[in-house]
Amino acid sequence: MSPAYLLKRLALIGYTLFVVSLLVFGITQILPADAATMLLGENATPAALAAVREKLGLNDPAWLQYWHWLSGVLQGDFGTSTRTGQPVGPTMFTALGRSLQLALLAILLTLSLALPLGIGGAVNRGKAADLGVSITSYIGVSIPEFVSATLLILVLADWLQWLPATGYVPLSENFGRGIEHLVLPVLTVSIIMIAHISRMVRSELVDVLHTDYIRAARLKGLPPRTVLFRHALRNALLPTITIVALDVGYLLGGVIVVEEIFALPGLGRQLIVAIQTRDLPSIQAGALIMASTYAIANFIADLAYAWLDKRIQYG
Amino acid sequence: MGELFARMRRSPQGLLGMILVATMLVIAITGPWIAPYDPETFAPLLRYKPPTFEHWMGTDQYGRDILSRLLVGARSTVLMAMLASALGTLAGALIGTTSAYLGGRADEAIMRTIDAVMSIPSLLMALLIVTLLGKSSVNALFAIGIAFTPGMARVTRSVALAVRKQDYVSAAIARGESARYIVWREMLPNVVAPIIVEMTIRVAFAVMLFATLSFLGLGAQPPKPEWGLMVSESRKYMGQSPWMILWPSLSIATVAIGFNLLGDGLRDALNPRT
Amino acid sequence: MSILSVDDYSLDYAVPAGLRRALDGVSLHIDRGEVLGLVGESGSGKTSLAWAIMRYLPESAKESGRIALGSQPLTGATPGEIAAIRGKRIGMVFQDPGTSLNPTLTLGAQLSEVLVLHRGLAKKEAETEGEALLARVGLRNPAAMMRRYPHEASGGEKQRVVIATAFACQPELILFDEPTTALDVITARQILDLFAELQEETHVASLYISHDLAVVSAIANRVAVIHRGHIVETGPIGDVFAKPRDSYTKMLLEAVPRPGHRIVATQPDAQSAPLLAADRIGVTYGRKSFVSSLLGRAQERFAGNREVSLTIRPGEILGIVGESGSGKSTLAKALTGLNPFTGEIRFGGRAIANLRAMDEAYRRDVQIIFQNPDSSLNPRQRVREILSRPLALYGETKGGKTRDVIAGLLEQVRLPAEFADRFPHQLSGGEKQRVAIARAFASNPKLVICDEITSSLDVSVQAAVIALLVELQRIHGTSYLFITHDLNLVRQIAHRIAVMYRGALVELIDVSRLPEGAVNGYTRELLAAVPAPLSARA
Repeated sequence: MSPAYLLKRLALIGYTLFVVSLLVFGITQILPADAATMLLGENATPAALAAVREKLGLNDPAWLQYWHWLSGVLQGDFGTSTRTGQPVGPTMFTALGRSLQLALLAILLTLSLALPLGIGGAVNRGKAADLGVSITSYIGVSIPEFVSATLLILVLADWLQWLPATGYVPLSENFGRGIEHLVLPVLTVSIIMIAHISRMVRSELVDVLHTDYIRAARLKGLPPRTVLFRHALRNALLPTITIVALDVGYLLGGVIVVEEIFALPGLGRQLIVAIQTRDLPSIQAGALIMASTYAIANFIADLAYAWLDKRIQYG
Repeated sequence: MGELFARMRRSPQGLLGMILVATMLVIAITGPWIAPYDPETFAPLLRYKPPTFEHWMGTDQYGRDILSRLLVGARSTVLMAMLASALGTLAGALIGTTSAYLGGRADEAIMRTIDAVMSIPSLLMALLIVTLLGKSSVNALFAIGIAFTPGMARVTRSVALAVRKQDYVSAAIARGESARYIVWREMLPNVVAPIIVEMTIRVAFAVMLFATLSFLGLGAQPPKPEWGLMVSESRKYMGQSPWMILWPSLSIATVAIGFNLLGDGLRDALNPRT
Repeated sequence: MSILSVDDYSLDYAVPAGLRRALDGVSLHIDRGEVLGLVGESGSGKTSLAWAIMRYLPESAKESGRIALGSQPLTGATPGEIAAIRGKRIGMVFQDPGTSLNPTLTLGAQLSEVLVLHRGLAKKEAETEGEALLARVGLRNPAAMMRRYPHEASGGEKQRVVIATAFACQPELILFDEPTTALDVITARQILDLFAELQEETHVASLYISHDLAVVSAIANRVAVIHRGHIVETGPIGDVFAKPRDSYTKMLLEAVPRPGHRIVATQPDAQSAPLLAADRIGVTYGRKSFVSSLLGRAQERFAGNREVSLTIRPGEILGIVGESGSGKSTLAKALTGLNPFTGEIRFGGRAIANLRAMDEAYRRDVQIIFQNPDSSLNPRQRVREILSRPLALYGETKGGKTRDVIAGLLEQVRLPAEFADRFPHQLSGGEKQRVAIARAFASNPKLVICDEITSSLDVSVQAAVIALLVELQRIHGTSYLFITHDLNLVRQIAHRIAVMYRGALVELIDVSRLPEGAVNGYTRELLAAVPAPLSARA
């Protein structure tokens, strides 16, 4: 990978984060809520309100407010929550940590199931098992998280009583019970991803298995296992990196819903609460952090892909 | 048109997709007329009923007939989702085609910006916009439409670029055809087909997104019979009646599956070379 | 006993409409040290036979008859027996080295693995042996080549690796499926020579499949001609090509371009002023990358054409030959306003300095036909609409109804009038190309640029299309700029030939002065590399 390529990707992610910050700030800044009223309450005197507005810099032109906010963010200061009065940064980042736990477990689960399913489907194309898996994944992609969450709670928590329905226990406190509380959320959020990625893997692998070079490998007398594992998979799985990276977007959306349903104190939950209470700084921080996480995940995937794929021309 | 339907019938996805979507559309349009009961009438004595002869799908926590609520709510879910997709596709197609037409630096700048915008996950984007505009079905529609725009812009642009490279476009340019003719008669007919396929598949996603927004309390507001809202409200009463949650969940999934199938079927049918 | 014997072998594919016969009662044999050329056009079944021999048939295939490798029957063999044969006793060399090599494995890895598998070598030994093999096939830095990935090697280098792989396990039989079709002429020649060398040395029995009779005549001992699944003629190459008995063979031989056999009878008027004069046409590709300029790197702008100057007289056919990347299509696109260019074009006395100056009159008189008929006709337009465009643009209806004019155009290219209602995918390759020709001639142009228009067609179809072009030229007196990589073909029809190399025009010569009169080194190399058609193998 040439330095020029790296430079270019870094410049791009810088631009991406800039645009994201602009969008997040721009959308939320148009909110009709008045931060001063939120802070002091409905019965505050006009004078007090004016003073607070001045202090918060609400009378400055939009671009100046953006600049204040951005420079604050770059120094680690995300402002103060209008709901709790606490600094937003630390709250959000702790919440992010918990969401990342959930997300990473989900990705692990997804990959360990989706890859074998997709590969099996491609290799057994057209047979009954493949059809069954195909249909199941079709359905899996069409069920929103809140539906599958609700159904899973119904079956596994209420009827069978195997797992707790809601709640959260930090893994550092009690690993076993912590995991218990995470099983259903991770499962819920993974269903769509497993369905989606297994279909993509299957489709990629089917295409690869039809290429001339796989045919050549077979006609060289190589045994089927060698053809699959040494020749085919490395070509089929490379694009999977990109797809998984893109799915992180769905994952983050799913995380929002799932944290709400299972009462997990993650970034998604913080966002929902912030939205419902019009806590502007929290909304801005939460959205910025979430989008940045997605952008960075894609950035890492890009680099991984470029490093693995010899054919990309760099620079 | 007739030829298109004939081709659609040939594949299992196409056939099934057409049937499902057509049924859903009929329900969406005629829902209020064919519903046996008024979706908003309370009937406290008939709460939590399982499916019976009088109420084919049972009743909810206020004794309202679930079937009627589904039939009337189909409008919100299905039609809104289709409109949101169409909105996003139109806006996205405009941006994407323009970008492809401009080419060069302008194209790259536009696409990098689109990529940056797409860093905001769809649900998050929709949430932000709904927060901005206020909670309602219509605002959710706009939110989803806006959230879809960058994705559709990318797809349109890549399709437009691929078409632009074809020799028949070069032949038209070499003939001295006007830009208008080239875009309308040479490029667009070949661009429209893949876009329609993509849009159809997006409707499935829009249905899910719309229901999710309502579920979170940011889309349709009670007492509207929107399906996502119905699921949200029924969560508390799962013990009393699982049917309340089952029927709307099944309906959402069925619509999404239907549009996915339709999209796949359309993809095969619209391919001019087969 | 023959190494390969095929006895009364038939192959059908089960398709929705029933059974489609691919091979019908095919019989042939190849002995040790022999090269059998299998010649046929697309759809003849020649590739199906290769798959049948390798036992690589889909489940929908139904066979009858017998194929045997020595004493071992192949038809009816168990998967275990087949696995033991593939790569070890029968090797195969494919058409396009670009797609038959795994892009994510090194060339060395793909070579060593057969040595490990079939010759039982340890990994280190296989690598050493692999290097030796690469040296044997003429690669200059074998050790480095072992570590390269396919995209880092040229077409010729890749094909040598593929050949090395096929010969590596000393098989009894090797199938060659058009191994030089995807390569440029000079490289193809080198590969053919390499093949001849190796075959002499190892006495491997070879089945050489090709549509190109000239190539086959250069390397085969015997030839079998296959048409629609039947072997219509077979015998020693000298006999078959000198005294063909079957009518299809005769037709095929007639269709092969032979430089000595001139098709065009007309001559341009030597005194008349040039119709088109191109003066130092230059085309560059590539955009300045922002990051590169930031890093102070030199800009890499790729030159498509470097100061190309040539003239075409009225009624003249000017041939342009060169390899891919030589700039011939770039020039064609510049002349028709598809590429921005520097320099000047003078047409009929008028100066055309840039794209904007190309007005309706110019475009009416200068038409272009593209190589790939699949992409040059809009798949969503019927033939009627495709042909009506030039009429609408240039107002050539001449008072007659458009419908009649279109029927007339179709007749001119020997297509039935009903084709006007068809879509391109309902036509064959040759028919599509005729429609493209009709479209070009609709405006009665003075110059038609033909950009490799027959390169993707079968030899017999090509002959028919060329005959059509020649006829149209005779009737209308149109000039052609005929671009091709086929030297033999262009020598049959062109009056003068321009040779292009790496974007520059290196030679412009009257066809009558070829081949001895060629001055430029590259031209001479090109002429030497082209297979002398149909001379029996020495």
